Amino acid sequence: MATNAFGTVVALACLVVTGTAVGETPSPAGDPANGKRVFFADGCFYCHGTTGAGGGNAGPRLAPNPLPLEGVKAKVRTASGRMPVYSPAVLQDSEIADIVAYLRSIPAGKQAKDIPLLNR
Amino acid sequence: MARRMKQTSEDRASVDRRKFLKAATLAGTGAVAQAVASADAAAAATKNAATASSPERHTVQVVSREGEQGTPRPDGTTQTSCGSDFMVDVMRGLGIEYVAAIPGNTFKGLHESVINYGMTTSPSLELLSCMHEEISVAISHGYAKIAGKPMACMMHSTVGLQHGAMAIYNAWADRVPVFAIVGAQLDAAKRGGYVDWAHSVFDGPALVRDFTKWDDTPISLRHFAESASRAYKFSMTPPYGPTVLAVDQELQEDAIKGNETPVIPHMPQVAPPRGDDGAVNETARLLVAAERPLIVADRAARTPEGLRLLVELAEELQAPVVDIYGRMNFPWRHPLNQTRRQAVLVGNADVVLGLELTDFWGVTGNKLASGARRISISAGDLYMKSNYQDFDRFTPVDIAIAADAEATLPALIEAVRKLVTSRRRSAFRARGEQLAKEHQETLEQSRAAAAAGWDLQPITTARLCAELYEQIRHEDWALCNGTIFQNNWPQQLWTANHHYQYIGDAGAYGLGYLPGASVGAALAHRKHGRLAVAIGGDGDLMFTPGALWTAAHHRIPLLYVVHNNRAYHQEVMYVQMMAAKRQRGITRAHIGNTITDPNVDFAKLAASMGVYSEGPITDPNDLGAALQRAVAIVKRGEPALVDVVSQGR
Repeated sequence: MATNAFGTVVALACLVVTGTAVGETPSPAGDPANGKRVFFADGCFYCHGTTGAGGGNAGPRLAPNPLPLEGVKAKVRTASGRMPVYSPAVLQDSEIADIVAYLRSIPAGKQAKDIPLLNR
Repeated sequence: MARRMKQTSEDRASVDRRKFLKAATLAGTGAVAQAVASADAAAAATKNAATASSPERHTVQVVSREGEQGTPRPDGTTQTSCGSDFMVDVMRGLGIEYVAAIPGNTFKGLHESVINYGMTTSPSLELLSCMHEEISVAISHGYAKIAGKPMACMMHSTVGLQHGAMAIYNAWADRVPVFAIVGAQLDAAKRGGYVDWAHSVFDGPALVRDFTKWDDTPISLRHFAESASRAYKFSMTPPYGPTVLAVDQELQEDAIKGNETPVIPHMPQVAPPRGDDGAVNETARLLVAAERPLIVADRAARTPEGLRLLVELAEELQAPVVDIYGRMNFPWRHPLNQTRRQAVLVGNADVVLGLELTDFWGVTGNKLASGARRISISAGDLYMKSNYQDFDRFTPVDIAIAADAEATLPALIEAVRKLVTSRRRSAFRARGEQLAKEHQETLEQSRAAAAAGWDLQPITTARLCAELYEQIRHEDWALCNGTIFQNNWPQQLWTANHHYQYIGDAGAYGLGYLPGASVGAALAHRKHGRLAVAIGGDGDLMFTPGALWTAAHHRIPLLYVVHNNRAYHQEVMYVQMMAAKRQRGITRAHIGNTITDPNVDFAKLAASMGVYSEGPITDPNDLGAALQRAVAIVKRGEPALVDVVSQGR
């Protein structure tokens, strides 16, 4: 292909990687129902998948086990690459907390070892 | 799979009417067909077959249609020869087997010659009926990447070429040969009403001159023959590219004058340019001495031999290969395939060898360690134009070898072999063992990532690709699409070893490419009995759905899986970015980007054109069975479509 721009920007656009940072304080609880609403209304799902499972080159996996709230907030406020920077005027802190709550509510799915099609 | 041609009752009647047409077989390079249509066909055929051995003389005799049609032409004129029959002979003398076109009056002479002469004499030059010039060109584009030679496509030099221009640009950027013929009415005195004038242009190919290798407007049949051969030679000399011939209506339609006996030049045997020996030897020296060499390939393997040679070079050095996926450069499950580790490998490399990289900057940019060396082998340095900027950002390299990478690899491999000592070979072996472990770890990571959202609705692209592979993995399959919008899941999850199993993408990201290109590729696969499959976006398909009709009409077996995410997903984030920057909220970014309200029913769309179809498939548990049924149809020699409602990426 002519360019590998996607690969380039994706490296910069890593909004969230899953996991819990050592020493993080517990995040305040958000409203998962409203988080899901915002996740869809604001179009997060276009790149990250409807349950945050990730969109490959377009957007990294967000769930299950999302980053703590402060980590997510930092990514949202200072994103680079194709991931837009969302200011509080566009996405409030409380909405980010709700999104994180929604992502936390998403259960872990099947493992690759349990899926025959992925073990060919 | 046996080739199957649709033959309607009309076709059969036409063939029957003209079965007296006889032609000597074109016997390879520079041979000449001699066609005779005569009321006394048998005798004439015998006579002319006997004279057909003359290698460079062409005579054509076409008798009046009165006998066939039963109705004299209004003006009472008849012809005993025509220029466009000669043009057909020139094209098949060049090895061209197909002409893709929708009809147009500026090339009606050629149209008639193709269907009544090219398709009824051997070797066949067959007309592919198309629905749009963009599709005609895209079919040619996809076909050439598998057939290894161009297909012709015909269109008006005005409105037709305007329609086809984007597809020609795709072929240009993808370095693919396309043999385009545009009909032209050069003599103003011969033009009729306003349509003729609206369809006339003084210099039609100028429209695409910035992104074609060469064009010409021949004014005699000899001129046509020479220019056609020149166009073929240029298009098939790396870097490959499209060419255009503007062919005058009168030249097509008029009888061959007097004793004119046009010459058909020999089809050239094109030798690709090889790299300078000194530069190749220096490249070998750097690669052998490197501790962390990296080979990056984009459109490197033009042919199966290119893939084989790249494997040979990589194994000789036990060097990692990163595939940019412009072509099927390297087996997907080869332990030295380290494509998913590109970022790490580029950052650590001390020598990077780029093979036919269009975007060397995109690969290396500012990511290289201090002192790392860049070496480029690319035919792109040999032929470039300035207006369209598909040459990408300038990248300073240490050695720039202006040559075809595939043609240069044998010399490079030989030079490497001469330099490898037993000590270096031991180090290479250790490097290879480490890379093999990392390849396996990457595979496990890909599988883990593919499991995410496995049962989701809409269906994940990983699930879509895994389900598809399950249905084709025991077949001789060939994937006809680029995979960037499916997260390169096929390369991550499937096993592919053959050059024909993947052909890269559009070249210039011009939407509307895949429907036509996949049909063209599937056509080239048909005579090999391969199972051609394509995964394409809904937005792309909405540009050129008429390609499905061409597949149905010509019985071209192709499984077209629609990655139906109901949006032009890539652009959503760009609009979000604009809206966020302007502090106006991001909830409306979907407007103009989504393809909903109403949802497009692609199964019905396909069915309306005679294509077997399934969908919309929304439940992932239904997908495997739907694909299985569709594969069965394709194996019967028919196209099929499965519409899969999918996640964005």
